[in-house]
Amino acid sequence: MTEDERARELTPPSAPALRLRGISKSYGPVVACDAVDLAVHQGEIHGLLGENGAGKSTLMKILLGLVQRDAGTILHHDGPVDIGSPQEAVALGIGMVHQHFSLINPLTVWENVILGDTGKIDKGAACDQVRDVSQRYGLPIDPLAKVERLSAGERQRVELIKCLRRDPSVLILDEPTSVLTQAESAELFGVLRHVVRSENRAVILISHKLAEITAATDRVTVLRKGKVVFQSATAETGPQELARQMVGREVSLGSEAAALGLLPVEPPRTGESGTGKVETSVAALRLRGLTVTVDGVRVLSDLDLDVAPGEIVGLYGVEGNGQSNLGDVLSGLVLPDSGSVEISGRPVDLNRPGALHAAGLGIVPEDRHASGVVLDMSVAENLVMKSLNAVSGRAFVSRRKTHEVARRLAAEFNIVTPSMDTPVRSLSGGNQQRVVLARELSAGPLVLVAAQPTHGLDVGAIEDMYRRLRDVASGGVAVLLISTELEEVMALSSRIAVISSGRITGVLSTGEATAERLGMLVGGVAA
Amino acid sequence: MNEVREDLRQDSPQRPGRKPHPAPGTDDTSGRRLLAFLTPSAGGWQTGLATVVGVLVALALSSLLIAVTGGSPLASVQALFQGSMANWTAWTSTLLYAAPLLLVAVGACVSARSGTFNIGQEGQVLIGALFGAWVGLRLAVPGPLLLVIVLLAASLAGGAWAALSSLMYRIRGVNIVVSTLLMIFIAQQLVAFAVNTSWLLQESRIGDAIVSPQSNPLPAGALLGSVGEYPNLQVNGGLLLALVGAVLVAVALARTRWGFRLTMLGLNPLAAKHAGVRVNALGGMALAISGAFAGLAGAVLLTSPVGVNRLQSGIAMNIGWDGMLVALVARNRPLLTIPVALLFGVLRSGGGFLAATGVPPFLVDVVKALLVLAFVAPPVIVAMIRRRRAGVRTARAEHRPAPVAEGAAL
Amino acid sequence: MIAVDDISTILSSGIRLTIPLAFAACGEYLAERAGAMNISVEAMMLGAAFGSVATASATGSATTGLVAGVLIGLLIGFVHGNLSHRLEINTFVIGLVLNALVLGLTSYLITVSSFESHQVSQVSIPWLRDIPLIGHPLFVERWPVYLLIVLVPLTWWLVERSRWGLELRAVGEQPQAADVTGIRVNLRRRQALLWCGALAGLGGAYLAVGEVGSFNQNMTAGRGYIVIAAVIFGAWRLRRTLIGCALFGLADAMRLALPALGLTMNSQLLVVAPYLLALLAMLFFANQNREPRALGQPFERGST
Repeated sequence: MTEDERARELTPPSAPALRLRGISKSYGPVVACDAVDLAVHQGEIHGLLGENGAGKSTLMKILLGLVQRDAGTILHHDGPVDIGSPQEAVALGIGMVHQHFSLINPLTVWENVILGDTGKIDKGAACDQVRDVSQRYGLPIDPLAKVERLSAGERQRVELIKCLRRDPSVLILDEPTSVLTQAESAELFGVLRHVVRSENRAVILISHKLAEITAATDRVTVLRKGKVVFQSATAETGPQELARQMVGREVSLGSEAAALGLLPVEPPRTGESGTGKVETSVAALRLRGLTVTVDGVRVLSDLDLDVAPGEIVGLYGVEGNGQSNLGDVLSGLVLPDSGSVEISGRPVDLNRPGALHAAGLGIVPEDRHASGVVLDMSVAENLVMKSLNAVSGRAFVSRRKTHEVARRLAAEFNIVTPSMDTPVRSLSGGNQQRVVLARELSAGPLVLVAAQPTHGLDVGAIEDMYRRLRDVASGGVAVLLISTELEEVMALSSRIAVISSGRITGVLSTGEATAERLGMLVGGVAA
Repeated sequence: MNEVREDLRQDSPQRPGRKPHPAPGTDDTSGRRLLAFLTPSAGGWQTGLATVVGVLVALALSSLLIAVTGGSPLASVQALFQGSMANWTAWTSTLLYAAPLLLVAVGACVSARSGTFNIGQEGQVLIGALFGAWVGLRLAVPGPLLLVIVLLAASLAGGAWAALSSLMYRIRGVNIVVSTLLMIFIAQQLVAFAVNTSWLLQESRIGDAIVSPQSNPLPAGALLGSVGEYPNLQVNGGLLLALVGAVLVAVALARTRWGFRLTMLGLNPLAAKHAGVRVNALGGMALAISGAFAGLAGAVLLTSPVGVNRLQSGIAMNIGWDGMLVALVARNRPLLTIPVALLFGVLRSGGGFLAATGVPPFLVDVVKALLVLAFVAPPVIVAMIRRRRAGVRTARAEHRPAPVAEGAAL
Repeated sequence: MIAVDDISTILSSGIRLTIPLAFAACGEYLAERAGAMNISVEAMMLGAAFGSVATASATGSATTGLVAGVLIGLLIGFVHGNLSHRLEINTFVIGLVLNALVLGLTSYLITVSSFESHQVSQVSIPWLRDIPLIGHPLFVERWPVYLLIVLVPLTWWLVERSRWGLELRAVGEQPQAADVTGIRVNLRRRQALLWCGALAGLGGAYLAVGEVGSFNQNMTAGRGYIVIAAVIFGAWRLRRTLIGCALFGLADAMRLALPALGLTMNSQLLVVAPYLLALLAMLFFANQNREPRALGQPFERGST
């Protein structure tokens, strides 16, 4: 039985709200979507599962009119349609709840909500509509408030209202929970249930998290390498099956679960790989009273944290609670208003550029494109850029020494590159990340900070990163893992510090960390 | 296995035009480096072809303009040649113009490579000339030493003037492109004020003669002389200065720690900061260096026989603007600015001969503008077509705002 | 001692010098709110000034000339828009190149041709023109001046109240967000540049066939840059921008009136005032700035 036949057999009798047939899209030689078939029915939440790069986003962009398909047909209530622009998608009743970048901060809520409409502006009517929708779905919001003053959760509400106001027949949500607390996520899924059950709309939920898909959806489609590889009612399948389909091979949920967005079945016992005994009393990394204010908002307040040599401490929290700001401080990009950073008991003068690096702190920054690598410089140059002294004389950079160092590191860290002179831009994401890691570790740091080190990597690269982080820790380096992925933190760390609204709300050992306790801490409630 | 997978979702899997080389470890052959250097830019042959087409279109349009207004394109070309290259006198004048143009352009390369777009060279040239003149006329120092002091004072003044923009950016976030632009007009009025004010630099009254808005001529000792002895050709010292500057900057950018850091800063300021670069200091320094080169150009205009060796309001002669255009045409490569500056020098010195053919000398300005367009557009267009073909980035990459380089580098 | 007549004269000439700035500033203001920084406003004014005189001379109608000026402004806006918001060449570079090109071209053309002088007619409003001091300066004007009464509120309404303006502002602040919302960012910017071209063209044409009646080489003499300074001085608010224009127009009038008033002072301070004030405004009122966040930054989908 081919996948296609199987999909058809599983399709419920009611006419699908949206049906895709043989959708293909290539970017040059890269095939993003390969003859994708998908049917989304009214009254169901349809999960779209796949690794990063499996083609989920491209598929949705095609539905939204942001990208044009190369081949295939889109049927809307059984009539073929062409979606040439976002406006046409809206006209067809396809609405998207964007996670990032769809609200204009200096504009008010009502202005944002009507953005993308056509016709005359009627402020009164718009505000009424916002209030109306917000009441109907239980999403309280002030239509006159400026978006820049809203919290992440409130912005999510605005997004939902903006989308629901247009009365869409199909709602698409792309990784909606990455910036939300568990309570906010629950609110979101509540609204989605309501939308599906009482209003008979169709919802497409895109995610790479197995837990979310199994908990919230009615049907699930798995994409791999641009192809639909599996379709099923969610109730008739399980995490094991979905994981296998997503990755394309048998996986043991024990060791790889974290990479797939599931809690590890057995949390690693202390003393296992990577979580070497903590013996020294002096913390390798000691943060005391770090306070950072951005645009008048306190994003870090009085943050204390210790990491001992040889241990991995996971800093867990929902995106936007100060983790990235802490990363910025530890990268030397931002000066804290107050507080200190000590490395092996010695305070670091943060005013001096490069002082953290000199003191023995290596960092894999959250966004490698933004601050980790210089995309248009060569692999060799990227590998030596933090230790120019080693490869240069008083004034001149030695090309020979640069290449020597680069070749050694490339071999040691399995960096696959055509040549040392290749610009980093043309490397794969995993290799770019290895360039960053190699550079940071080559200086022999006492402390390694890894901020979202697996963002945007595929399972293979994620596993490699996990292995390397464990190795680093067992070599006696203190590792601070900043992550928004609970599973990742649970799998790697010996202790978990939870950050909420810029402060540490609690530190638990992995053994005593349960989803409930962490959930309380993430919500800002001391457990 | 995993590598193949990752390539699937890469933002721009292999930058086109640069073929991946077969095996790792076979890098660093000097031949390839040379080749990469000679390639006009990251574009490859398409960019080169598009540039050639662009230049031809620019020349065709200019010819059309001449023909439509009743002139003869051929005669105009001849006149341009007559005035710029036909004999040693013409060459002398071409080289006199090329020197300050080259200086300005080399400076423009430095700031552009650091990620800052300085468009205020015209003002920096003027400030350089102003302070050069002031020092030259006020200090009683003998001969060659005075010249050195004039040149130094001009570079310092031009650099300081540019550094003001950097300072305004640092303390108040004032956009550098805008502030360097506005500072041009302030510099113009400062010079006008100086040459209109008797206690500043206005020429001294001799008897009952009318006093013009200009300074006294600089003493002979402060003037740049010719270098070397040739029958009729004069190679002014300014040109030598400019050539040395271009080579020094080229080497510094390509080989030194300073150049490495500057390149890092220009390509990714956040990563540079992360790597311990003093971003503000280095960026400010680059802008100041760019201003210093422009200021030096001002001094060359003042002390070489290209003008009358007096400070006048019009002393900059749009050299600042043109020098920046030279850098644009050379795509911010210091060594490439040498031939481009020469070309612009040719256009300038040839322009004067156009009048004899009945074609207004302003033709030269039209040709220059069209040429700049012909050189600036192709790499952008080629890159855009490639991006369109290669498709957009992955969803992950789209979630992140790009670091915003102040001044929008090219 | 300065007489009342002198004040009236200066006021009158100040207003005349303000009008071209005000037209162009309305256009530049709108374009900058959309994030499109165009220094080619100088080229638009200069090109339009030349085009209006040439057309007026050819057709014998100053009004036709005015229309031609607007069309030339539109053309330059169109070219700039397509080069920098379709092909994505750095907008400052395009601005500089266009300014150089139009300056060269108009200088070239005016040297090889000669034009008859034409001027649009004057309208004087009964009764109001007899108000002492301000009557004559305000109410005896060439008729295009009264277009401002419509165009200023229209510009404000377009930016602050219309859907188009809402989208322009979104595009000027966060183009990526505007894009996913379904707004065509670069199209909006090109449209904004067209509006800017039309109004800057009107300003330039008014200068030529309205005030002067003829064209001379580099006629606008940097007025486009003054317009940019005015928008900066106005901190991206229309009212303050227009106040800036009036201030700068008046400073220019003062400069021209100095010899007539018998004052022997150097005029450089008056000439430099717009630029100095714009810089000072950026330095000292940075906090109140409504500078569009994406001002001058190119947009390409997926290039975040």
